[in-house]
Amino acid sequence: MIETHVHVVNRAGLHTRPAAMLVKIASRFKSEVYLMRDGFSINAKSIIGVMTLAAEQGAQLGLTVIGEDEREAADAIVQLFASGFDEP
Amino acid sequence: MDNTMSRHHGSLGERVLKGVPASPGVAIGRAFVLSVDSPTIRHDRIRSEDIDAELARFAGAVEVSTAELHRAVEIARTEKGTVTSIIESFVHIVNDPTITAAIIDRIRHGYPAESAVVAEYDTHKAVLYGARDAFMRERAQDLEHVKERLLAAMRNRHMSHAAAADSVVVAGSVTPQDMLFFKQNSTLGFITEVGGINAHTSILARDIGIPAVIGVRNATSDIPRNATIIVDGYSGLIIVDPTPATIAEYEEKRLRAEAYRQRLGELREKDSTTTDGVHVALLANIDTPDDVDVAMMQGCEGVGLVRTEFLLVHLGRYPSLEEQTAWYRDIADRAFPQPVTFRAFDVGSDKFREGIPHHEDNPALGLRGIRFLLYRPDIFAQQVFAVLRASVNRNVRFMLPMVSVYEELQQAKQIIEACRKALMAEGVEFDHEMPVGVMIETPAAALLADVFARETDFMSIGTNDLAQYALATDRTNELVADIFDACHPSVLRMIRMVVDAAEMHGRSVSVCGELAGHAAATEMLVGLGIRELSVTPRLLLEVKQRVRTTSNTEARQLVEQLLRCTSTLGVHALLTGSR
Repeated sequence: MIETHVHVVNRAGLHTRPAAMLVKIASRFKSEVYLMRDGFSINAKSIIGVMTLAAEQGAQLGLTVIGEDEREAADAIVQLFASGFDEP
Repeated sequence: MDNTMSRHHGSLGERVLKGVPASPGVAIGRAFVLSVDSPTIRHDRIRSEDIDAELARFAGAVEVSTAELHRAVEIARTEKGTVTSIIESFVHIVNDPTITAAIIDRIRHGYPAESAVVAEYDTHKAVLYGARDAFMRERAQDLEHVKERLLAAMRNRHMSHAAAADSVVVAGSVTPQDMLFFKQNSTLGFITEVGGINAHTSILARDIGIPAVIGVRNATSDIPRNATIIVDGYSGLIIVDPTPATIAEYEEKRLRAEAYRQRLGELREKDSTTTDGVHVALLANIDTPDDVDVAMMQGCEGVGLVRTEFLLVHLGRYPSLEEQTAWYRDIADRAFPQPVTFRAFDVGSDKFREGIPHHEDNPALGLRGIRFLLYRPDIFAQQVFAVLRASVNRNVRFMLPMVSVYEELQQAKQIIEACRKALMAEGVEFDHEMPVGVMIETPAAALLADVFARETDFMSIGTNDLAQYALATDRTNELVADIFDACHPSVLRMIRMVVDAAEMHGRSVSVCGELAGHAAATEMLVGLGIRELSVTPRLLLEVKQRVRTTSNTEARQLVEQLLRCTSTLGVHALLTGSR
């Protein structure tokens, strides 16, 4: 199990498009991927879960990845957040 | 726009409805009215032997909707913009593991499939509606669209897109995929009852280039089926049963609009950059939240000036803290993530008498702008509180009007600081680094620009007032009005001083006066080193067009000549010559 943190850096936050990118990438891996905020956790392979986090710019989220490819999955997701989902 | 309204109201048989313009253009055609489908959802429990059938019905609906979305993705790929990614995100929503599991769980507990779908989607919608910014709240509409499609699929209802050929679709709302299918069938325009300029429906209509007016209350009941209607996607007007004269008038407008659109429409997506690669940010001057939508549609990079005194004139009194906060928040949300600059109330006894103690013989040189705000720190502090509260998404800047001496800035900053501390103590969320700037509108401020640049985050030049005070001319007084000219060499020299001071301290400086939108002035302002222009929304594309044909190198050479001119006439001769 890998536990780390990610930050929302793009200005518009985790709206539909970034949420879809996140779900797309998380779904490529066999591992289970969870995002945590304010004490509740959501499945990062669920677009509705990700969107209803309503994470705006500056938000810090916990990231938990469990499974055989957890290292690769965690790296890919951390990288995605750091890139700001290719948005300003 | 008001003219059009009254004229059409007076015409025989014609009716005018008003909505929010969401996608520019004019469409004239037959109304294809989709009555709002609100099926009765049964919530009573089903028998245990029916559970498998309900599960199959839900699974079938997911399959049908997914297939439909995949077809839409194929069409979307031929369109520009963000269409494809919007539709792809819908595929994710329909197949979402969390929501699917929850719906299946509800059905297993004996709820009918429709009831389970409605319950789950509505729960998540409620969460999004509670989100902090408008953009997220409008995503709730995405969920509503997916829900409606699933419900329709479960009842085997399929929309006949072909029936809307050469018509204007009038609906409660239109899903993005339906919009694409309609476009394939040569639909002319869209009218919807739901609003939201950031809703995917609006974005899509703009991307696929079909005129749309949204937020038209009761459109589906007020517009008769097959009635002839005109959709004006510029003003948000809809004309039902237009007279032949109106049709002819709009037909002409449509042709003109198409030509204009071809010329300027492509500009919307293009950068505002000179021929030699210098970026000049284009922002909008606005009064109301609706103005933001219009400005954003023109592809501007933010709001350079919100004239907050509009709220006073609009209400005829000073607004409450709540009224102000809501108004500013709405503006900031609609512009998000682009920046918004709120200018503190810029009033004087010539504009708004309330709160000013007595008649002034010379209001232009009297208690106005920052002077009035410091005279009434209660009014000023309340506005600062409201603006700070609206800054929560960090896209808000605050600007002080008519500053002429340094002490005014100092005192204003003390009040702002006190407001910040009070909000922090209350635990209110706001942007602790909200930039504070000054308007440069008096010769004193221009001459002291280096001091103001050091002590503020940004400066904005108000060219009308600066010219009026520099030339000691009231431009509304016809006896001297010919002396007034914002292109006077004395004004240009002051603008240059301000730009130099800003550069020295690494501050941004914009021009938000009328001069910024003046046809001949773009090249001059670029040459003077201005990198931010804030203009009235309808001029945005034209100014962009001029920026894109300007060479910064040539503009700088032109300015060197302009600064040596002895008179306004000399300046204008050079400006005309350079075009």
